[in-house]
Amino acid sequence: MSGEEVGEAVSLLETVESQTQDVTKLVDHLHQKVMEGGYSTSKGISFLELKYQLLLSYLIDLTYITLQKSQGSSIQGDPAVERLVEIRTVLEKMRPIDKKLKYQVDKVVRTAASGGTDSSDPLRYRANPDNLINKLEDVSESESEGEEKKSKLYQPPKLTAMHYEGDETEQDRDQKILERAKKRALSTSMLRELREELNEGPTEIRETTSAQRSRAEKKLRERTEYEEENFMRFSVSKKDKNEMKKVAGFSSLNNLTHFDDISALTEGRTPQAGSSKKRKQSGKA
Amino acid sequence: MSEGAATIRTRKFMTNRLLCRKQMIVDVLHPGKATIPKTEVREKLAKMYKTTPDVIFCFGFRTKFGGGKTSGFGLIYDSLDFAKKFEPKYRLQRHGLLEIKKSGRKQRKERKNRQKKVRGTKKAKVGAGKKK
Repeated sequence: MSGEEVGEAVSLLETVESQTQDVTKLVDHLHQKVMEGGYSTSKGISFLELKYQLLLSYLIDLTYITLQKSQGSSIQGDPAVERLVEIRTVLEKMRPIDKKLKYQVDKVVRTAASGGTDSSDPLRYRANPDNLINKLEDVSESESEGEEKKSKLYQPPKLTAMHYEGDETEQDRDQKILERAKKRALSTSMLRELREELNEGPTEIRETTSAQRSRAEKKLRERTEYEEENFMRFSVSKKDKNEMKKVAGFSSLNNLTHFDDISALTEGRTPQAGSSKKRKQSGKA
Repeated sequence: MSEGAATIRTRKFMTNRLLCRKQMIVDVLHPGKATIPKTEVREKLAKMYKTTPDVIFCFGFRTKFGGGKTSGFGLIYDSLDFAKKFEPKYRLQRHGLLEIKKSGRKQRKERKNRQKKVRGTKKAKVGAGKKK
């Protein structure tokens, strides 16, 4: 090793030492606080806190194992591995609960970030059951029914608060349509595959049956079950026969090269109606 | 039960005491051959269930896409009298136990047109004679 490299190594080691000193100080401080009862757990531990603790222990165990491996010692039968597996299973079981809480958590985070809620936020509106009770008197209704109904225009009863769309301009509407088209384009097969390619996480492989095929299979299965149960045979209509031919035969090969329209993302305009018609015709054969 | 590379298997076997019969779904495996005719299926079922083939009625055979497997229904009656009582006429006709007289299409249409000219109970009389 040359003199430069030695000097660099020495300076780096010094920074490591100072930083570890800081970390130990912080940890000691926290430890003291916990010992004194600064964090109360009388009401039990909340879901999010539990998640933090689990993730933390997971990281600790993981670093321990990497340390072992970097030193060259074996990790066979190490209790750290078992702990890792256990924590991982618990985290995966927590995932559906997390999904259910997602809306609440997102709302709270948004209010914290934006600093207060907007009064015209459409998400504030929810069903008000008090509005469903008839607050009018029923006495005078039956007498004046005949005369009044002819003159009055029918007003639908106002039961719940609805989002007001009267001030929406053409531009707003077009923008909304464009946004929806963009969202739809993001979930096409092309972009999904691109996302999978560039994603650094582990890939999930699932058995894929297209929606059309699964629909046809489900229908066929229902029909055969009914037939076997009732000891009879159905006559297949022309529409069903063509559908079955489309799924089972070679005609589905023609649709291999038909991809969805992603012009909303590439060109920033909504897909034209004419292009989709062209696609429909060629799918016939 | 294999004879000439055709195997018969039965599924969903049920004894129907109300109609005095045994009913089941019949699966025929015949790779490389055409669908087996119903008379052969009846004989094989007769051997399986140790009855005569004349009380066995099978129908509704559909071959799966690609060939090789056919599914159908089979009924085995306790006796031929019960069969004649409970089976629909067209299936008895297939076995030759019943004769259904069928006039031709043209005759039926002409009879209908002759009936249109008459009102009430005379319609039944009209059909009897054929005008020349």
